[in-house]
Order: sequence, then structure tokens, then C-alpha cells
Amino acid sequence: MLTAYAMVGVFFIVAIGFVVGALLLGRLIRPNRMYPEKLQTYECGEEPVGPAWFNFNPRFYIVALIYIIFDVEIAFIYPVARVFRSWVNQGLGWFAFVEIFSFIAVLLVGLAYVWLKGDLDWIRAIKGDPRGAQGVSARARAAAEPAPMDEAA
Amino acid sequence: MSSFLVALAPLLVVGLGGLLLMLGEAFAHRERGGSGPSADLAIGSFVTLAAGAVVAFSLWLVGPENLGGAAGVAPFLIIDRFTLFFDIVLCVGGALAALLAGGYLPEHKLDRGEFYPLLIFSTLGAMVLASAGDLLSLFIGLETMSLGVYALVGFRRGSARSAEGAVKYFLLGSFAAALLLYGGAMLYGATGHTDLAGIGAALRGGTLTGADYGLAIVAMVLVLAGLAFKVSAVPFHMWTPDAYEGAPTPATSFMAVAVKSAAFATLLRVLVSAFGDPASMSWGTGWPPVVALLAVMTMTVANLVAGRQESVKRMLAYSSIAHAGYLLVAVVALMTQPGIAQGSILFYLLAYTVSTAGAFGALILCGSRGKEAVSYEDLAGIGHRHPVAAAAFALFLLSLTGVPPTAGFFAKLYVVRAAIGGGFLPLAILLLLNSVVAAYYYLRVLVYMYMREPAPGAPVAAPMRSGYVTAALLICAAGVMLLGLWPTRSLELAIDAALAAR
Amino acid sequence: MSAVPVPYFLVLAAVLFLIGAGGFLLRRNLLVLLMSIELMLNAVNLTLVAFNRLHPQSHGGQIFAFFVVAVAAAEAAVGLAIVLSFFRLRNTVRADEANTLKN
Repeated sequence: MLTAYAMVGVFFIVAIGFVVGALLLGRLIRPNRMYPEKLQTYECGEEPVGPAWFNFNPRFYIVALIYIIFDVEIAFIYPVARVFRSWVNQGLGWFAFVEIFSFIAVLLVGLAYVWLKGDLDWIRAIKGDPRGAQGVSARARAAAEPAPMDEAA
Repeated sequence: MSSFLVALAPLLVVGLGGLLLMLGEAFAHRERGGSGPSADLAIGSFVTLAAGAVVAFSLWLVGPENLGGAAGVAPFLIIDRFTLFFDIVLCVGGALAALLAGGYLPEHKLDRGEFYPLLIFSTLGAMVLASAGDLLSLFIGLETMSLGVYALVGFRRGSARSAEGAVKYFLLGSFAAALLLYGGAMLYGATGHTDLAGIGAALRGGTLTGADYGLAIVAMVLVLAGLAFKVSAVPFHMWTPDAYEGAPTPATSFMAVAVKSAAFATLLRVLVSAFGDPASMSWGTGWPPVVALLAVMTMTVANLVAGRQESVKRMLAYSSIAHAGYLLVAVVALMTQPGIAQGSILFYLLAYTVSTAGAFGALILCGSRGKEAVSYEDLAGIGHRHPVAAAAFALFLLSLTGVPPTAGFFAKLYVVRAAIGGGFLPLAILLLLNSVVAAYYYLRVLVYMYMREPAPGAPVAAPMRSGYVTAALLICAAGVMLLGLWPTRSLELAIDAALAAR
Repeated sequence: MSAVPVPYFLVLAAVLFLIGAGGFLLRRNLLVLLMSIELMLNAVNLTLVAFNRLHPQSHGGQIFAFFVVAVAAAEAAVGLAIVLSFFRLRNTVRADEANTLKN
């Protein structure tokens, strides 16, 4: 009983100690010569533009929603993979195969639906929205349209 | 091996139909470059759901006990006459809502194709819920149904009321689902079973330890609270008027009809198979006093508040709560008269489905683009401006009031008979008193329609004409009259169905 | 190596569930309400999985938890979409400002 907790405790101590130790060691041995470019937010060599707090394009959110649903559904396929061999041995291989493929087919219908509806397009021409039709970049549109998610959070 | 496909045919027909419509709608959307869809979808949904009802009815004629596959899907889905009865009621409710939508959505510029797949999948969820014999399938059915309906309530994207109704319904609905689920988890812990029959057997067996038994009692309270929310019993009804008013009227009709029926189906199944042991069913130690209290509060509060409404749609919402109260009276009577009480509930739901869907349909016909008929004032003089809608509305309201020879009269009669036969005379008297109160606000609509004229200068709701809505009204009217003039045959069917769910 | 006893998990789950329910009833931010509901569902999952250890003859509880996770994801998606459309129209995520439907 107690030993089980002790293992968790040791794990925590080692994990925290490792991080703190590495940082401390780095601070002690590295040279410390700062200049303005070095203090900038790192953007892969790009000059940072504008403030870090800007509204995200709501497309991010829609794609994330679609992703999370499909992601969770995948969890149902694992158990089938696990027992598939024993089903084949029982002579139920085709049954399991057809079953899991009808499951995937239903998911594919959902995917086809969001695709056809244009919910996967990053830049979407919205009817009556000339900016969309002209193919304005996503970043520019995000700046123009107030996106609710940040303020909401 | 594939005989289970036959047993599941009603579900499969509705599910596949829904998927095909959804794809078809998406392709059409692509081709037309995003312009509104149309009437084909309404017809397609109607045909799909009607086919579901027809398939369920043919399985009924074959006899579910003759279907080899039914045992293969038990206990997750129980295919018996009880299930098939509800499949028919739910498909009819969904099909009527599809017809109403075919007229309503284009008229109010809400013509977006998503409505129909959502409606069909909600109906599918409701059917799964009605046939669920395991907490797992119960939960999946409940959520499939509810998620679709949440979206339907928020369907009017430009309307703050619609969004607000959806927010309230969603939050309270998922809270109730979480309560129900926690209750289910406790039941699993106490008995080691997730199937309702197994839970019932464990409770009946008397082998549970004291702690487990206590857990089961807490679980029963949580499950009852969750289900009371879904049938919108007072005090779990707060969301109902807001969601009903905010939703587009066809969706309101669907909620009042199909969602409520499915919730009652699962309430009956849970109470009879899981909590059907003598201790849980007795007045002293079980659920009947709780349900009786819910019934009394639901009837009384709903009728008193309904009388004070100025919006007809809201009045119908409270009326649907009141009807849930009458049904709960019959649920209490399950304690002493299981067969008759259940039969009366099933018959009531059938009668209530056609009357309520018809009433909402008539309300749709009374208004048109720009000016929906919502308040009593809007209905003034409709009797002359749109005699057909007014006559239909009158018929359905009389049925909801319980005037012979309409369906509603016999439905109430059977419920009262079950209550008196079961020894619950006070509840039966209260039900009758409440019906008298209800008559006031139902008849008030008739007074406005036929005896008032709109105030001079006030904006008048111009009635609309739509073949779809008229067709739905005809179906409902036929149902109301058939059940009213020849009730015995359908009651026998209902009792058959009730007896199957033992 | 001995395991943590089952009642510990049950108590933890009950506490989580109560925190979720309390948050749902007391807080006014719609997004916090959504999170409270998720917390309640996860408490249910923990309860189910813990009880499964008491009933090792089947994996009913664990399978149930799987489905709850999937349904919770779908519910969160629909819920966020609804809250988003509410926000678009009313410019607020406060639950007590949802009052245009009062009679």
C-alpha cells in the first residue's frame, strides 16, 4: 500500500529535480550576453509583426471541433483491432470486418458532409461577402472580423 | 447471422435514409453554390420516417417474438411490441415535423438543409432510447436525440431568442444527462449490471448489502431526476417554455411530441424493469410517492401558469408540461395496475402526438413571413381569414381539452380509469379539476379566433398557404377522429404493446 | 505491490462531481458552465472505471466510460457552437443576461 505511494512520490521528486537541475545548470554555465534581437519573441527568423494578443481566425475553432469528434471516434476502432484475431478464429472474421467498415463508412459520410459544405476550406467564399470572394488572406480576415473566442475565454 | 438486421430494420431504414439525405443535401448544396435547398428534402424526410413507421408496423404484424434476431441485439436494444409501438409513434411525430418544416422553413427564410438530417437523426436517437434495455444504449439514444434537438432549437441563427432557448436547453439538458449518468454509474456499482433487467433482478434478489442498497436508492433518485427533466416535469421544467418558444415551430412540435414520447418510453422501461421489484414499487419505500408528487406539481403549476400566458406558443409549451403531468398520474398507477396503466399511457401518447403536432401545424398556418402568429391577439379573426386553419386548430384544441368524440377524450378517460382502478382517486380528481382549468385557456384561443376582430391599425398576421402543412393537418385530423371514434382497437394494440414490456 | 483501494477513487469522483455540480449552479459564465458539465461527466467516468474493479467479471464499466468520452466530445462541440451563436448575437457569455424570454 504505502510502497505504491512511495513510488509515485519518488517519480515526482525525480521529475521535478531533473527539470530544476537542468535549468540551474544551464544558468550557471552559459554565457549571458543579451542584445535586443535576442530578446524578441522567436518566430522562426521572421520579424514579429503586431502584438501577440490578436483574435484568432474562427476557422481554427471549427476545424478543431471537427477534429475532436473524429479523434474520439477512432478510439472505438482500437478494441476491434484487439479482438479481431479471435473473431477470425471463431469464423466471424467477415462479420467483424463488415461491421467495422460500416462504422468507418458512417464517419466518412460525416467527413464528406463537412467537406462538401466547405467547412474544411481555409479560405471560404461567403455569399454576399466580397472580402471572402476576393480571396483575402486568413490573417487579414481574422483581423477584420472580431473573433469571439479570446474575449470569451 | 444476419437475422438481427431484420429485427433492427426500423432503425436501419431511418438511419440509412438520414445518411443518404444528408449526403444528397450536401451535394445539392455544392451544385447550387450554396443556395437554399428545398422541398425535396421535406418529402425525402417524410418518406424516410414514414417508411420507418411502416417497417415497424410490419414487424408488429409478423410478431417480434418470431424474429430470431431480436435475441441477438438484447439486452442493448429490446425489440418487442412496446418498442415497435413507440417506433411508430416517434416516426409519425418526426414525419409530421418534416412536413411542417417543408412549409414553415421556406416561408420564414430559414430554408437550410441541415434541418432535415438533424430531425431524422434525432428521431433515430429517440427510437434507440425507446428500445434501450441497457443504460449504455439508453445514454447513447438520449444524447443522439438531445444533441440534434439542441441544434434544432438554435436553428434560427439570426434570432437572439432562438440562441437563448438553445443555450438554456443545452445547459440544463446536459446537466440532467450528467445526473442520470452518475445515477447509472452508481447502479452499476451497486448491482454489477448495466442492463435494466439485470439491475432489476439484483434488486429483486435481495442479495445486496446495506451499503449497496443505499447506493441503489441514491441512484434511483438521480435517474428519476434526470428523466423528470426530459419529460419536463415540475420542478425540472424551467427550460421548456423558453426552448419551445425560441425554436422554429416545426422543431417545437417535434420536441413536444417525439422527445416527450421517447422520454416516457424510457421512464416506463426503467421503472418497470429496473425498479420493478416489490420494495421499489411500494408506496412506503419506493418511487410511487415521488412520482405522485411530481404529477401533482406538474399538473397544477403548468395549468395555472399556462392560463396567464399571452403567447399561444408559450401556452402550448405549458400545456405540454401539463400533459406530462397527466401521464405521470398513469405512471403512479403502474404500482397497482401495470397492464392497464401502461396501455393508457401508450394510447395517451398516440392521441397526444396527433393533437399536439396538429395544433402547432395550425399555428404555423395562421402566420406568414414577417409576422408569425404568436400571441392571442394575432389569432383574432382567423376564423374568417383562414377558415381551414381555424377549424383544424379548433379540432386539435378540443382534443387537447378532452372533448368527445376526439382522441384526447378517450386518452384522458383511460388514464383516469387506470388511476381510479389503481386506487388513486385523489390523483384522478385532481386530474379532472386540472382539465377544467386547462379548458379555459384552450377555449380562449377559440374565442379569439371566432369572436374577436383584430384591433384597428394593429399589424395583422396574414395567414399562409402550404400544401405540406395542410397535408400534415389532414393526417393529424384523421388520427384525432379515428382514435376518437374507434378508440377500442387502438387501445387493444396499446395494451398488447404494454404487456410485451414485462 | 498493493493497489489504491477502490473507495478512494469513488470519493475523489464524488468530490469532482460535486465541484462540477456546484460550479454549474453557482457560476454565471457560460463557458465555465460547459467546463463544469465536462467535469461532472469525467467524474462519472472515474466512478465507472473504479466500480469496474469491484465487478471484474466483465468490462462493462470501462466500455461505458469509452462511450461517455465520445458522447462528451460531441456534446462539447454542439455546446460550444450554441454558446458561440449566442455570443455573436448578444455579445456576452454571461448566463444571467440570457433573459429576453422572460414572460
